Amino acid sequence: MQVNASEATRQIYWNISHIWLMYVLFLVALAIAVWGLYRRWAQWRQGAPLARFDHPLARLGLLWRQGLLQVRTARDRYAGFLHRFIFGGWIVLLLATTVVALDADLGLPIMRGLFYLVFQSFLTDLAGALVLVGLLMAAGRRWLVRPPTLVYSSEATGLLLLLMAILGTGFLVEGARIAATGDPWAAWSPFGHLAAWLMAPAVGSVEALRSFHRVIWWVHLALSFGLIAWLPYTKLMHVLTGPLNIYTASLEPVGAALKPVSFEENTTFGVNALGSFTWKDLLDADACTECGRCTAACPANTAGKDLSPRDLILGLRTLLARPEKGAAIIDALPATARERLWQCTTCAACMEACPVLVEQMPKIVDLRRYLVMEEADFPESMQEAITSLESRNHPFRGTQASRLDWADGLELPGLEAVAEAEVLLWVGCSGALVERNQKAVRATAQLLAKAGVSFAVLGRDERCCGDPARRIGNEFLFESLARENIAAFQARGVRQIVTACPHCFNTLRHEYPRLGSTCEVRHHSEFLQGLVAEGRLQPGTLPGRSLAYHDPCYLGRHNGIYDAPRQLLQSVPGLELRELPRCGPSGFCCGGGGGLSFTEEPPAQRVSRVRSEEILETGVDLVAVGCPFCMSMLEDGINAGRGERDVRVLDLSEVLLQSMG
Amino acid sequence: MNILVCLKQILDPEVPARDFRIDPVRRQAERGAANLVTNIFCENALETALQFRDGPGVGSRITVLTCGPASADDTLRKAIAMKADAAVRIQEEACPDPLAVAQVLAAAARKLGGFDLILVGREAGDWGAGQVGGLLAEELGLPCVAFVDRLEVCEGGLRVRRQTDTGAEVLELRSAAVLTITNDEHNVPRIPKIRDVMMSGRQPITTWTRGDLGLEGPLAAGYSEVLELFIPVSDRRCEFVAGETLAEQVDALARRVAEVVGAV
Amino acid sequence: MNHTLVCLFATAGFDKSAQGLLGAAERLAAATEGRVTALLLGPGAGRLAQDIAPLAATVLVAEGGAWSDPQPEACLDAITRVCREIAPRAVLFSSDTWSQEMAPRLAHRLGGTAVGDAIALEVRDGVICATRQVYGGKAQAVIALRRSPGVAWLRARSFAPATPGAPGEIRDLGFEPGAVAHIRVVERLADATGQVRLEDARIIVAGGRGIGGAEPFQQELARLAEVLGGQIAATRAACDAGWVPALLQVGTTGKKVAPELYLAVALSGASQHTAGISDARNIAAINTDPEAPIFKHCSFGLVGDYRQVVPLLRERLAALCK
Repeated sequence: MQVNASEATRQIYWNISHIWLMYVLFLVALAIAVWGLYRRWAQWRQGAPLARFDHPLARLGLLWRQGLLQVRTARDRYAGFLHRFIFGGWIVLLLATTVVALDADLGLPIMRGLFYLVFQSFLTDLAGALVLVGLLMAAGRRWLVRPPTLVYSSEATGLLLLLMAILGTGFLVEGARIAATGDPWAAWSPFGHLAAWLMAPAVGSVEALRSFHRVIWWVHLALSFGLIAWLPYTKLMHVLTGPLNIYTASLEPVGAALKPVSFEENTTFGVNALGSFTWKDLLDADACTECGRCTAACPANTAGKDLSPRDLILGLRTLLARPEKGAAIIDALPATARERLWQCTTCAACMEACPVLVEQMPKIVDLRRYLVMEEADFPESMQEAITSLESRNHPFRGTQASRLDWADGLELPGLEAVAEAEVLLWVGCSGALVERNQKAVRATAQLLAKAGVSFAVLGRDERCCGDPARRIGNEFLFESLARENIAAFQARGVRQIVTACPHCFNTLRHEYPRLGSTCEVRHHSEFLQGLVAEGRLQPGTLPGRSLAYHDPCYLGRHNGIYDAPRQLLQSVPGLELRELPRCGPSGFCCGGGGGLSFTEEPPAQRVSRVRSEEILETGVDLVAVGCPFCMSMLEDGINAGRGERDVRVLDLSEVLLQSMG
Repeated sequence: MNILVCLKQILDPEVPARDFRIDPVRRQAERGAANLVTNIFCENALETALQFRDGPGVGSRITVLTCGPASADDTLRKAIAMKADAAVRIQEEACPDPLAVAQVLAAAARKLGGFDLILVGREAGDWGAGQVGGLLAEELGLPCVAFVDRLEVCEGGLRVRRQTDTGAEVLELRSAAVLTITNDEHNVPRIPKIRDVMMSGRQPITTWTRGDLGLEGPLAAGYSEVLELFIPVSDRRCEFVAGETLAEQVDALARRVAEVVGAV
Repeated sequence: MNHTLVCLFATAGFDKSAQGLLGAAERLAAATEGRVTALLLGPGAGRLAQDIAPLAATVLVAEGGAWSDPQPEACLDAITRVCREIAPRAVLFSSDTWSQEMAPRLAHRLGGTAVGDAIALEVRDGVICATRQVYGGKAQAVIALRRSPGVAWLRARSFAPATPGAPGEIRDLGFEPGAVAHIRVVERLADATGQVRLEDARIIVAGGRGIGGAEPFQQELARLAEVLGGQIAATRAACDAGWVPALLQVGTTGKKVAPELYLAVALSGASQHTAGISDARNIAAINTDPEAPIFKHCSFGLVGDYRQVVPLLRERLAALCK
């Protein structure tokens, strides 16, 4: 019988009776789901307030890129494909189900004709097949490859099997219907048609097919509603919390990620109870998809230490589920053990890797703040740095250098005439007091002088910017140092600051304005690159040298500055610039941040060693850095590993100066 | 137990040698850019007292005392943040004469009264005379044990361990005494909690003058006097061993060492 | 008669310290127109007296009876009594811990003035003046001892010995130590490392903060010291970290040493440490930082990581010293 394509359709609920039961079951599943969602939401509410609903357009932009296009997820190509198949496929399936509901419950005659054929039949079938392929790819990875970054729980296995069963039974239902009714439009549902063709001989008569169809239909319904009910209690919750988390993500650069601390007396300093986190921190715990990319990216973990950002976040999720309110977070689980908290370099590779924009690193600092300020319990080596900061305004206990030593022998008239100078060169504690770093400051000063920039330094009035104190967790000391520096800026008329240290740069730029600073802050890479671009500096050549640039975490990930240093290096002809395997936003930390450069790490677990090996394997002669901590850590690591090869570490300013002869 | 700990605020002894300057006329170091810190051995003494109170001496009361100018209040506040119970400062300008200081401290200790134990640092990082402890003991008519690094309770009194050139000695004390404390891996001063630091700003510090202590006249004129203060000049030059590779350098070093050692 | 009284606790014997002390006494007695009296306390005093006799006019010996187990308070009381009897112009002690503790207390009891760690003594216009290091070794001061007697404990090894003359009179002290109930030594803990005293060591290998742990002190430095026939020592940082016993600390508040060779490994050379090695004949250093202050005190050195240098050095030296 020739039926007109414009009347193509199928009978909704063909062969099924007691449809009212479907509605009842749906309501039950929905109630369970809503209850689960409500519980989660109630957990988040115990957190402190935080404004994360401003700038809706920017947030929608984030949602588009990360939630829909899933740019970060796709960094792992295999995972990108499998996730987009599952995600995209499911969206289509959900739309198709909505179409059925609109037609069946609201009586809108949309499930007809070309729309029925192209969308409801063909695309939906394709979508289902894609989901199944994605699920099989996921299963293959989870059960055959078994990468260590995944969490191997029975819940994950259960979810995977459930989803495959839902898709499987879906095709079986379709196949049984097509086989039993001899659907004339079967070709438009290629996979359903295939299922029908496979099924028909096995099941036999039309009667048998109809019974089979009825059973599988209810099984499929039960499984699907089961998924709905179960979803908010599992990691699949991320289909809702993920987008919410992306929408409410921080719009500020990572460098501004640490929260200020209020020194009101009745609040606890730092965090050791869930209620002391913000609601967004708690949402982060529920948005985590258990993918493990943060831990894979974590330099401490890569170097063999126990710290695992994924386990920390999942640990918070476990604690959220516990009934005791106000219980201590630190040491409650192996994942929240205090030793692990001190292994973090605050590099934020975890945050960069996360597909749902969880903020792991600031939570570690929050927990550190509790240990430092409430319990005064933190590693001895860091205690020395803190005590030195309190007594001497710098963290380098035992240094015999003083603030202006780097300028010895340089002709720099008016070096301390701050009010008259255009720019304040912020030397930083490393630059002033660590011998190797003094050379970078010298080089920078010489370049500024060559370019005719009028600059001055605070000299002995310069105190530590406070970054080590802040990252170790002593906000009180940080604020005290910061206020003193800001007072000096104001008293001496400082307007523009240039510094060679990204830690100082980040602190002065993001953390000082809140305490009253109005100065403009630039990193020397940008500033020097600007001078070259303006023609005020003419780079020479360094022929025949190969060079790799190591992105400092506090310049790169924390402030998004990747190009200026590279442009600066590229302006020196003859240099063969190579990129390191882990560069740019996925750059691997040198191991010096977070106060770690003041500690002695066990030699087998040094982050600097891992990065140095990566660098040495590229075979370059020179490594350019833009940070004094990177300089110290990498020089140690490279000297330890280079054997007889001549591999040097130079600051960007030194490369430029050397090229000029 | 009623414990008195004497503290001294000094110029940061870790000021780099190049920044260290002397005023030859007033015969004292110039302040320069150096900060003022609490003498480390005084902090070791305070830490010893605090650990004693945390442990065997539970219930003890710790009073901290300093003899110095207004800036020394910072030293006392840090001690309060470390949980000392009371703080007293005797207003005095810095003075290198140990007997003068001991007399002032003794007068204050008598006025405060009733101490079972007095702890002081073995010496100060500036003048390093190492005498105030012993002189204070004599002023108060108490025995003294110097270079103590451990403190415990024993039957009838206290047991202290003190360092000697050949090891250590353990002594038992059955009366009040003055102990001078030296550094040890166990008495590294604790870091105060921030909340305590914030609250320390509000605790009162009793300030007395010499008049309040019944002392008259200038500080013990005529005990000792600094006639000269100078920075000795050194003209040693270091010869770095020659060699292209590490092996060659170590070879050269070994030969120099063997020469020096064999030559004797 | 101006006596210069020298007090020695006899257990150390007639070592360089005792010799230097008598030398200082001889010159001080000459400058104050007086004579040297020596007071020797404790076991071994009798034998020591034989060595001291050619260097002093009178030698008082307190040995035997209750002096065989001297208590510090009793010793101080006895010295005070002797001083009240002979009214010396000056009292000199060595640098051991009992002496350091007793000197100011004795001065107070006698209405005199004390000074410690003197590296030079002189008399200016009848006033005894002592030179000592101050400000953690960054400076030196000349201190006038305005009251009499001047009581000083000396960095005795820094002083030249006395010239022997006709032996003086050796006498028994004549009284037993007083009973001291309220403060007693109950235990003496000898240094477990079994080393020669650092002050007497000819060769010292010292480590600092840069060593990084307790094990390398034993694995690397102690074995190097062994090859050289020397002792290990450390800076305050290493002792405070618990890597080595406090006994091995060299510096303003540790031992003052005067070896033929002081090899400083992975220590920066802050003045508080180098103040303790100013009498070393040769100072050498191994450090990764060519600008480390220690090099300013060295005659030779190597810039490198001790972890690589020391094992190689040990090997070479073992071969050379065969």
